[in-house]
Amino acid sequence: MTLLSLLEKKWLRQAASSPAHFQSLLRRRRKGEPLQYIIGTQPFGPLNLRVRPPILIPRPETEHWAIQLADRIQNRPRRTLLDLGTGSGCISLLLTHLCPALSAHAVDVNPAAVELANENALLCSIDRFQAFQADFLHQDFPSHPSLSPPYDILVSNPPYIPLAEYLTLSDDVKKYEDPRALLGGNSGLDFYHAIARLAVRERFLSPDAIIALEVGHNQADAVSAILQSAKLRTDVWPDPWGIPRTIFAYR
Amino acid sequence: MLFFRPWIRPTLRSFSTFSARLQQQDGSRILRVVQRLIDERETTRSQISQDMSTPEDIARLRKLKESEPLQEAWDEWTEANKNLEDLKPLLSDPDPSMRSLASEEYESLDETRNNLLQNTFPSLLVPPSTTASLSALVELKSGAGGIESSLFLAELLRMYLRFATNSSFKSTIVAENENDGGGTKDAIVEIKGEGAYDAFRWESGVHRVQRVPATDSAGRVHTSTVAVIVLPLLEEKDAEKEELFSMSDVKIEVMRARGAGGQHVNKTESAVRLTHIPSGITVSMQDERSQHQNKRRAFQVLTARLMDQKITREIAERRATRNNLVKSADRSEKIRTYNYPQERVTDHRIGMSLRNLTSVMEGDALHDFISALKKDHEETQVEDMLRETEG
Ligand SMILES: C[S@@+](CC[C@H](N)C(=O)[O-])C[C@H]1O[C@@H](n2cnc3c(N)ncnc32)[C@H](O)[C@@H]1O
Repeated sequence: MTLLSLLEKKWLRQAASSPAHFQSLLRRRRKGEPLQYIIGTQPFGPLNLRVRPPILIPRPETEHWAIQLADRIQNRPRRTLLDLGTGSGCISLLLTHLCPALSAHAVDVNPAAVELANENALLCSIDRFQAFQADFLHQDFPSHPSLSPPYDILVSNPPYIPLAEYLTLSDDVKKYEDPRALLGGNSGLDFYHAIARLAVRERFLSPDAIIALEVGHNQADAVSAILQSAKLRTDVWPDPWGIPRTIFAYR
Repeated sequence: MLFFRPWIRPTLRSFSTFSARLQQQDGSRILRVVQRLIDERETTRSQISQDMSTPEDIARLRKLKESEPLQEAWDEWTEANKNLEDLKPLLSDPDPSMRSLASEEYESLDETRNNLLQNTFPSLLVPPSTTASLSALVELKSGAGGIESSLFLAELLRMYLRFATNSSFKSTIVAENENDGGGTKDAIVEIKGEGAYDAFRWESGVHRVQRVPATDSAGRVHTSTVAVIVLPLLEEKDAEKEELFSMSDVKIEVMRARGAGGQHVNKTESAVRLTHIPSGITVSMQDERSQHQNKRRAFQVLTARLMDQKITREIAERRATRNNLVKSADRSEKIRTYNYPQERVTDHRIGMSLRNLTSVMEGDALHDFISALKKDHEETQVEDMLRETEG
């Protein structure tokens, strides 16, 4: 078998407008460019999202837990949601799409991500969604003028890869995806501490708020502990490959 | 260009033989059934209450409406018989011109009666299809014959897609595995639209191709096969109503190891496999780029397979209650041969041959096979019904 799986070839062929175009797409793939960037889209649940470098490509693990979360909150009355580090917008767009009573704010430090997320909202005809630029590590973040706390649902897939692990990743990740979307400091846990601080802040979340955070393959215990010390109760959801992937927290 | 060979097999039931059989029996069997249905209709009518307001009345009125065409045909039949009786004395009238007029009229009445007996009544007795609303999932798998089989599969697939379009169905290739050496190893096509299942269901079985492969320099005729399975496809909400399976009985697996996964990996790993534990049915799906979509597709296929089993089971039960041993459809049975050297396609179930293979593969002659098979099926149903009322 060649480097490219037959399936990838088929998808590239479907995306190509001519045989010559197909050959040029194949060449890009051989050089290591991620398939999703070449095709320019990634299905995410029932949505088809636009993707472009260097904004993080939505992962199947994320798709899985976001759908699981949607099942839980689907029939609740009107709710507001905040998505920290929204990237392509995938998580909060899927949730607003599946839950008619939900409206979402999404932030990202990268203006290109904010632009892409809003573009995707337009593409999917979702108007209960608004992305804006903000740095949620910054101490003034909670008083950002575009935010309207308290929020009922907090979701995030924050950068969680420790620096040492990042260096060992394959080129299609390292060369094409934004390091700021992936690097979670030396321990990989920096962003979870920041999120826990937000969660305990007066009136930032509503009293019965729920929180769902994606974590790295060996971080479930550490992140659960961080959230528990913020007086939250936690459940761990496994991903389809059996890896503890999502911390579900509530008061 | 198109000819039937109705006498090729003894099991054959073409329309003409069916009618011939009916005539032999003086149509008495069919008339008995019609008479019974008309009596039932009278009973239903007498049960309707004065103000026609109860829910039962509504059901009764619907039943009356449904059997209206049969009543009309029956009225024509009794009328024709009465006229015939009235005519009889005139056949021996002393006036020759009166006699000749009477005999002309007699012939015309006789024709009316025959037509009612041979065509109208049988077609009205065909029970309405219980699967009429269903769409179809058509699975094609290459069998004996290696690459030749894969090449032929790709051609059959094109034939089906064209047939679907011509019949105003919407088709989507749900899964397709190409063969390295050319052709298609296997494929699944979704055919959407009312009546799609009833149109395609007769394609289930083994299709055999006989021809000289391009690769055979000696020019020998090879025989290869492709297996076709046609499954009933339900709308998602209808599938839930059928309660074909419970989620706790389905094991969902994702393919291949993904290492750390999550942000660490951006390879597309979307393949999904379902196992329905009670039946042992497994479905793998990998053609879509998202796991969610593959899962949805896989559940669609699983639902269709279970629905298929259910329909087969129901047919078997109905037959068992009737106590008659009709051979059930066997999916490993060779149903059709495409003979290229002789330019001929033969359907072995009804012994029907078309002398123009190209019009089957590239034109619309598949319609001819499918309508003949449909008709054959309807006639079998009527026969079953007759046997039942006698048995
Ligand atoms: C792992 S990506 C997740 C993207 C998207 N939510 C997903 O699941 O595909 C993390 C995102 O957080 C953003 N980010 C990183 N640091 C941030 C910060 N301090 N404030 C806001 N966003 C940040 C990155 O730009 C990136 O888009």
